[in-house]
Amino acid sequence: MTTASASAAMRKVSLAGIMGNRGALWAAVILMLLLLLVPVALPGYQTLFRTILMYVALAYGWNTIGGYTGYVSFGNVTFFGLGAYCSALLSAHGVNNLFADVALAVVVNAAFAALVGLPILRLKGHYFGIATLGVALAITDIVGNLDAFGGTGGLALKTVDEAHFSIYYYAAWLVTAGAIGATFLVARSKLGYAFVALRENEEAAAVLGIAPTRYKIVAWAISAAIAGAAGAVFAPANGFVDPSIAFAEDANVFPIVMTILGGIGTVAGPFIGAIILSGVNELLARWFIKVHTLFFGAVIVAVVLLLPRGLVWLFGLRGGARTWLKSLAAYKA
Amino acid sequence: MHLLAQDLVNGILAGGILAVVALGFSLVWGIMNIINLAHGAFVMLGAYVTWQLFSSFHVDPFLSLPVSFAVLFTLGYLIQRFLINWVARAPVLTTFLLTFGLSLLVVNVALLIWTGDTKGVTTAYSGTNFTVAGVTVPWAKLYTLLAALLITGVMQLWLTRSKTGRAIRATAMDIGAAQLSGVRVAHIYAIVFGLGAGLAGVAGTLISLSYSLNPSMGQPFLIKAFVVCVLGGLGSVEGALVGGLTYGIVEAFASQIDVTIGTQHISGTGLQDAVALVVLLIVLIVRPRGIMGRATA
Repeated sequence: MTTASASAAMRKVSLAGIMGNRGALWAAVILMLLLLLVPVALPGYQTLFRTILMYVALAYGWNTIGGYTGYVSFGNVTFFGLGAYCSALLSAHGVNNLFADVALAVVVNAAFAALVGLPILRLKGHYFGIATLGVALAITDIVGNLDAFGGTGGLALKTVDEAHFSIYYYAAWLVTAGAIGATFLVARSKLGYAFVALRENEEAAAVLGIAPTRYKIVAWAISAAIAGAAGAVFAPANGFVDPSIAFAEDANVFPIVMTILGGIGTVAGPFIGAIILSGVNELLARWFIKVHTLFFGAVIVAVVLLLPRGLVWLFGLRGGARTWLKSLAAYKA
Repeated sequence: MHLLAQDLVNGILAGGILAVVALGFSLVWGIMNIINLAHGAFVMLGAYVTWQLFSSFHVDPFLSLPVSFAVLFTLGYLIQRFLINWVARAPVLTTFLLTFGLSLLVVNVALLIWTGDTKGVTTAYSGTNFTVAGVTVPWAKLYTLLAALLITGVMQLWLTRSKTGRAIRATAMDIGAAQLSGVRVAHIYAIVFGLGAGLAGVAGTLISLSYSLNPSMGQPFLIKAFVVCVLGGLGSVEGALVGGLTYGIVEAFASQIDVTIGTQHISGTGLQDAVALVVLLIVLIVRPRGIMGRATA
């Protein structure tokens, strides 16, 4: 196959799969701009919206490895947690600067992901998935046992005074916008095509000259950098980290559910999924405090069975209910 | 020397349980290519079934083995028949996510029913032990190991000798040929998943004798089951047994790690998950198809 026809084929994939629905993308951009107004228009809801932004960023982080490359990670909370600890350690050494926090978290997490990825990304998808779960549990163990990280007791961070609290909101917004922008650029670049090619057929991609392990490591490093940046902003805003906060199950599970609901491996999907589920979760947490993880489990089951390609795909579906129903029974035993 | 012998015995005793945990996981994975992320949740359910019977009706944990098997088998059969079979032929990723969602569901339902408080099953013989040549052996763990070996043996016999067992192995080898020979694949798949869940339930019952119970207790066992499968190779009974015992021994020795660097004290007992990960990584790098694994994809 010539390079020209290969890239033409990839472009076709990209139009259908990578960019997602164009309308959905515009809706995401406009909503994102509106979110910039929150500290001025709805100051009382800043913390809520900052949390939503954090989940949006985490969903984009997960989408790079889980969505585009098709390597499901159950351990991305590791990077969120390590990012949070980067800020905590800097604060413990007298550095209280959000730019330094994010920069350190991005570098540390990308490097850490590359290091861990070197052995485990040579594995096929499901081995990788469990290995990431192992990484998450192991790092939580290790951090809880290290005195330098405060052990299970955790570390406190210096927080800015009440009047300037909105800088955490804007920082979270910037990280999230950066994550969306990075995903958009990657999706349109050869790098993104390489990720998708690996997902669709690893052997064929390797034959076309895409070194699988190298590209997967790049994808995971990007994923880790995004999650780390989100953690680096979360920690100073929260004012305290310990292993149970930094490596919380919610931060691990929510981004996966949000991405698959919105549309795995699309630019707009994670945003749409994250906004909808954060909203629902907020209402659930208000009325039925104990059932929100239960609800998320049910959403995963329902989405995998009924909406395997997510909402973005449903918006762009031609052929109505019949096509949809037909697609559901495609893999029946 | 005493310490080494004690570690070895502890490892073998723990390894027997791990073999049963891994057996069901390995069958489901090897036969249907489904990585059941709800396996740890099933283990937890088995332990709670035992606890419930013990605390409400004073049923001995060993007598509740058939009950937890039956309850979990039924649950597993229904889940596969009515949910997973819809996507049974989809890429691994799909069933991976589906069972992950199921695991969240099961754990959180358990949290609603039994709350997050730690519970325990304390029988007349828990806490009692005997000593041979300086090595202490708790009775409960010895019984557990014997039960584990018995269950493994029965499974092996059933899979190789019974009609259903042969249909299961035929399905694993070639679905098309099995269907042509009259095997109802949807039903066999449901039986296999039921068996996997049932074995997880049995393992949960055995675990309840030596470990405390809470709804998220299954997660570490899921990881360990995976490591054991990778160690022993997929879909085989003897692989699960060898992998389980090996892992149990490695973990027992690793728990003896006790070093101090500067002011930092590192103890192996607090780092069990890290040990599991290290073992997994070493095996995956050195021997990706497992100790007993054959060269088939």
